Amino acid sequence: MTQDRKDYVESVTPPAGYDPRREQCLDFHVAEDLAAMAESDDKNFILTTVDNLFDWARLSSVWPVTFGLACCAIEMMAASATRYDIDRFGAGAFRATPRQADLMIVSGTVTAKMATRLTRIYDQMPEPKWVVAMGSCAIGGGPYFKYGYHVVKGVDLIVPVDVYIPGCPPRPEVLLDGLMRLQDKIRGRRGGTKPPKWVADYASKIPYVKR
Amino acid sequence: MEATAIHALLQSRFGDAVLDYVDSFEKGSLVAAGRVGEIAAFLRDDAALGFESLMSLAGLDWDGYDTAGKGKSVDILGYDELGRPEASDRVGDGDLGVAYALYSHRHGHKHTLFVRVPRAAPQVASVAAVWATAAWHEREAWDLVGIRFAGHPDLKRILLDEEWVGHPLRKDYVMPGSWQGVPLDGRDYAACKWDEAGVTLPDDVKKPDDPQQPGNGNQG
Repeated sequence: MTQDRKDYVESVTPPAGYDPRREQCLDFHVAEDLAAMAESDDKNFILTTVDNLFDWARLSSVWPVTFGLACCAIEMMAASATRYDIDRFGAGAFRATPRQADLMIVSGTVTAKMATRLTRIYDQMPEPKWVVAMGSCAIGGGPYFKYGYHVVKGVDLIVPVDVYIPGCPPRPEVLLDGLMRLQDKIRGRRGGTKPPKWVADYASKIPYVKR
Repeated sequence: MEATAIHALLQSRFGDAVLDYVDSFEKGSLVAAGRVGEIAAFLRDDAALGFESLMSLAGLDWDGYDTAGKGKSVDILGYDELGRPEASDRVGDGDLGVAYALYSHRHGHKHTLFVRVPRAAPQVASVAAVWATAAWHEREAWDLVGIRFAGHPDLKRILLDEEWVGHPLRKDYVMPGSWQGVPLDGRDYAACKWDEAGVTLPDDVKKPDDPQQPGNGNQG
């Protein structure tokens, strides 16, 4: 074993600055609520709102539609396999029909021929639904920008995109990170965590093709 | 058998139909477009040649070259850096062609047939009856380069949609802006004046690494 490999030996003591709460996917201060409940006299209920509860349920079971377009789909499959295990985040149930899915991971090059099928799959998905643009092709055409006579230069030209994951292709870790960003978005979907004003200003300035 | 010997054999058998010896990366013979069918059948059935395998059939575009092969390759059109299709007044000239890459498993030799057809009427006899694999390859050459194959059993587009207009691998092809309502030309980047928009990052905005910032996935 070389000297470099020593850095990767697992230690029983957590590194400095480690916060165990960051490991939890389920938040909305559930841990605090549980602690408060345990210390209170009324030990049998938690107060929350239905919206928060539903959002928590949705972000904990984001079911993607089984849908891969190109090499990014290989990384998506790797993310769903044992090594990376996207099921840890509740998103491992790839549904074979869009009618049971919440999330469409656009993993690959969107060609003109596939774009009509893609919008049909998106239309068949029930609300609420989310779209992840995975890889540079789905974000903006990627290497096919210059001479891709058949490539849609970004899937957000045809369906609304929630999370963009750059990479060519993105590694499975990045897909998992994008999924967590999507869970953040679902979590803050109503009230409370609106984007800052500069983000809204920025977003309003992004031009789109008028159709 | 050497390619020159195969060429000489073809010349002695077909005479004027074998036009020239092609000494390029793939050695072969330039033959007349109208007699490809019988030459192909001979190449397959002759015991000394035995080309039972058609490795590849490719459409060619000699845009910018004259019939003697003199000229310069033209720049093809794409999308500019703003995502708009590039336009040009240039009209394509030069012939189209087909290359048949043949291989004989029995004898271990290979040969390439070249066919040159005029751009105005690009028509070649189909060899799908000789090599069955040519059926799909000829559909591809029709789809992307636009060469008609006379006698093909089912000549229609194989990769692109059947309503697609034009043949994209021709060098004078102009990129489409959209196709059946699907935008292909990107955003209107020209209207995107990032610097003039006056949007700057405020100093008090919390950095993305800040665990206190909601939306970073770091809250407990």
